[in-house]
Amino acid sequence: MASHTAPAARSQDLKKIYGTGDTAVHALDGVTVQFAASEFTAIMGPSGSGKSTLMHCLAGLDSATSGAVFIGDTDLTTLSDKQMTQLRRDRIGFVFQAFNLVPTLTALENITLPLDIAGREVDRQWLDTVVTRLGLGDRLDHRPGELSGGQQQRVACARALAGRPEIIFGDEPTGNLDSRSSGEVLSILRAAVDEFDQTVVIVTHDPRAASYADRVVFLSDGQVVDEMRGPTADAVLDRMKRFDTVTPVPAAE
Amino acid sequence: MSGNPIRKVALRNLAAHKVRLALTVLSVVLGTAFITGSFVFTDTLQRTFDDIFGDVAQGVDVRVSAEELGASGVPVSDIATVEGLDGVARTAPLISGSLVVLGSDGAAVQTGGAPVEGLAWLPPDRTLGDPQVFVDGGPPVADGQIALNTSGAERGDLHVGDRTQVLTMAQGMVPVTVSGIYDVDSDTGGYIGVLFTETQASALFTDGRHVQSIDVAGDGSMSPEALRDEIAAALPGTKVQTGAEVTEEVKSQVSEALSFLNYFLLAFGAIALLVGTFIIYNTFSMIVAQRMRELALLRAIGASRRQVGRSVTLEALVVGLIGSVLGIAAGIALAYGLRAALNAADLGLPSGPLQLSPRTVIVALIVGVVVTVVSAYAPARRAMHVPPVAAMREESTGGDASLRVRTLAGVVAGVAGAVLVAIGAQGTGGGAAATVGVGALALIVAVLFAAPALSRPVVRVLGAVFARPFGAVGKLARTNATRNPRRTAATAFALTLGLMLVSVIGVFGASAKTSVDALVDNGVESEFVLTGPPMLGLPSAVVDAARGVDGVAEVVSAHTVVAKVGDDEDFQFGTAITGRLQDAVALDIVEGTESTTGDELLVSQSVAAERGLHPGAVVPLTSRDGETVDTAVTGVYADNQLIGPWITSPELYEQFTPVGSRSAMVVLVGTEAGADADAVRAGLEDATKQFVIVQVMDRDEFKGQQAQQIDMLLAILYGLLALAVVIAILGIVNTLALSVVERRREIGMLRAVGMQRAQVRRTIYIESLLIAVFGAVVGLVLGLVFGWAFVRTLADQGLDHIAVPWGQVLGMLVGSGVVGVLAALWPGIRAARTPPLEAIVDV
Repeated sequence: MASHTAPAARSQDLKKIYGTGDTAVHALDGVTVQFAASEFTAIMGPSGSGKSTLMHCLAGLDSATSGAVFIGDTDLTTLSDKQMTQLRRDRIGFVFQAFNLVPTLTALENITLPLDIAGREVDRQWLDTVVTRLGLGDRLDHRPGELSGGQQQRVACARALAGRPEIIFGDEPTGNLDSRSSGEVLSILRAAVDEFDQTVVIVTHDPRAASYADRVVFLSDGQVVDEMRGPTADAVLDRMKRFDTVTPVPAAE
Repeated sequence: MSGNPIRKVALRNLAAHKVRLALTVLSVVLGTAFITGSFVFTDTLQRTFDDIFGDVAQGVDVRVSAEELGASGVPVSDIATVEGLDGVARTAPLISGSLVVLGSDGAAVQTGGAPVEGLAWLPPDRTLGDPQVFVDGGPPVADGQIALNTSGAERGDLHVGDRTQVLTMAQGMVPVTVSGIYDVDSDTGGYIGVLFTETQASALFTDGRHVQSIDVAGDGSMSPEALRDEIAAALPGTKVQTGAEVTEEVKSQVSEALSFLNYFLLAFGAIALLVGTFIIYNTFSMIVAQRMRELALLRAIGASRRQVGRSVTLEALVVGLIGSVLGIAAGIALAYGLRAALNAADLGLPSGPLQLSPRTVIVALIVGVVVTVVSAYAPARRAMHVPPVAAMREESTGGDASLRVRTLAGVVAGVAGAVLVAIGAQGTGGGAAATVGVGALALIVAVLFAAPALSRPVVRVLGAVFARPFGAVGKLARTNATRNPRRTAATAFALTLGLMLVSVIGVFGASAKTSVDALVDNGVESEFVLTGPPMLGLPSAVVDAARGVDGVAEVVSAHTVVAKVGDDEDFQFGTAITGRLQDAVALDIVEGTESTTGDELLVSQSVAAERGLHPGAVVPLTSRDGETVDTAVTGVYADNQLIGPWITSPELYEQFTPVGSRSAMVVLVGTEAGADADAVRAGLEDATKQFVIVQVMDRDEFKGQQAQQIDMLLAILYGLLALAVVIAILGIVNTLALSVVERRREIGMLRAVGMQRAQVRRTIYIESLLIAVFGAVVGLVLGLVFGWAFVRTLADQGLDHIAVPWGQVLGMLVGSGVVGVLAALWPGIRAARTPPLEAIVDV
């Protein structure tokens, strides 16, 4: 995709340090990275590389120690908790590894939850399009407990898409799924970019998941060490093998 | 400790969750505090009264008194008889009676319910015990002089040499001068003692032919028992007791009176504990659910079911012990506060050092610990039956077993209870009330069983009303309130119980007030009602004073006559009327005439039916002095709550009532046609001003005064029930706080997808409001039904009008909503602090 358009999200010399003094852990050690609009990016790296922390900071779930994080033109480091919450609600979509849904609400109620919380009108036509595309039409009245893991993640995807956010973040969205369900969810995210012109950023440790992306960003020891365009599962796996096989002690997440 | 890993896990667990521990302990503390408080309070009163009455018969070997309490006493001639007997050294007559003392401001000295007692002063050589010690002045030596105890002097701001008046029923106002002030050991709680000369006391309080009792001191030649038997043989028809027996009797009377108070307070302790039990049970259920994975881990690495169960039980034991010990301390504080409050309210109770008996500590400890362990054991048992692998899986929600059996049991109990209540409400009297009581108990059990199933539809309806305006937040709150019906029901049950009792009492109060109003409206024809202090009444001189007022047509006074009817065992309260009855009271004569003069008797229809009486029949009446008069029935009247079972003549009243006890219960004043009510009232007030204690009221004011008395009685009950409600609130706080911990990840997720902190808080508030209102609605419905049924069984006791205090009901509903929101404040704030990352990061 055209890399000259304004980025949907970017970080500037982003640092995140846990603890102080001798025990300080540099989870992010000056990360400068851009995520182009209408592109599917996967963030990869060994355990403790800081990939999750990077995503949390980008998504306004965690605060940076120093540096800047932008969603569009908005600098997240200047926002209050209330503004940050509003930004997450109106401009960001989320798909987590697990515990995506409110167990007491139906699938449909979960999908429209961020809109309902915001008091925004639901775009029926768009909702129908998303629900149909994701094959959830006959599951809308079910509660999460009555859905399979793959179906739950599809509902989570539908929720992320329903508000037409500027960017969708996925934190190991296929981490808990079997390979068939993983494929479904990744196809949906791929389609969100291709068909709905969405911007998607996911964190994953699965080379096959990364192969669905347009671009893979590799992190190690809190720094961006490499990136890859048009990845294949094999190429990603090869790249990952070059990281030290001796996994460092996992940083606090 | 290191030798026992299970114990270590249990104790570490307690230490690791301090808030949870604090909340659990608190629920135990509240239950045990009330038990301790009621024991300590009544023990203290008991001990204080024992001290006061311990020397009631000091120096007395034998006391001679009348057989019946309230009789004229012992004939004066008996004194000489006793003194003539062998072994008698000295005798001292006791002359005493009730009166009112006016203070330096001319108003009656208030004692807060404690008695004012007039006594004859006896010189030291004639007293048997220690003579009075005068701190100022000296004893009364001439008629018209009085000596006061220090408390009475202080309360009336009276000093030696001051002139004032005392009011007695027999002689009206008597001018007196204070000759001295003396000390009484138990000079607390408002008791006022007034010493007169012997001649004046006997003129004021006796008919001159009797004394209340004769105290006898032996010369040492005979044992008190032998002396007692000798005197008893010489004076048949009197009650002769040794000093020790007198003391014993007084003490047992006191302890009987106090045991009622003790049962009453313990009943509230039981309610508090029952409510507390639910909180403890709820708390442990949730804790065990939260620890499912941890318990499963213990099981997976080889701990046996018993070991895991023991771990939970040990935790409960520690919580129960800590809670009970703190509860005992809190109970002592409660008793202290209660005493201070009662002293401040000037209820005329004496005060002494607080009594903490070993029995109190043991009962509170056992109850606290046992209730806690039993409440914790049930959920622990359930937890142990979950297979370890299932519990360790990510999203184990705990046992959500079917409610069917429970609900079915509830429905069965409910139907049985409803039938019993309905049957009981058809009748009157103790049997009917007992039927209603059993039915009520069954209905409470039914609610206990069926509440989880009931909560879903009820909360859904409430949610449609209260949560709808809040949109998505409201919907989340509503679904949260119904997601675990058992928990919702158990949390709400505490409030249900509290509000049920409050509304039962509310129905009683409202019905009593309405019934009294109706009684006054339908029964009293007079425009004005004159009353005096309760228990004392009005001196007869008031009647003459009222009669002299311009515009007054008829003055009727009502007196209470105590007599046995026919060959009854027990004394009954009848009425005697001076003046023309039909002018004052609407009395419906169904047979004969309403004339009662001399030895004549009117009986109510139910008495007539019961005994087969008709005009012309002869019925013997027996006074407390043992005097029997054959009365002729002249008429039968329709049952009348105002009048009572029978009416006799003023002459018979005087014949049957000792001089010192004669007074008018109430004086009814009718005005002449066309008389100006305000002018008559002013005239009545003016004419009765000299008696200080007389209240002039029109009918509405009289009704208001009765209502006020009912309200005061209810206020004490409400105050005690407030405690049950407070515990219920803490239960809600507890449940919500633990729910919030349980839902951390979910709340984090909601925060991540854009729920504002304020919205998170609001969700918790609304959830709490729904639970609280659910509990309140169930409690109010039960309470109103029970109140209605109980009042129906009391229709023959004068509660013939049933009223529902709708304003109060509405107030309680609104109040419970407010309480719900208040209870959610802290859990709500905690929930709102949940960081969004909580949803993603595995804890």
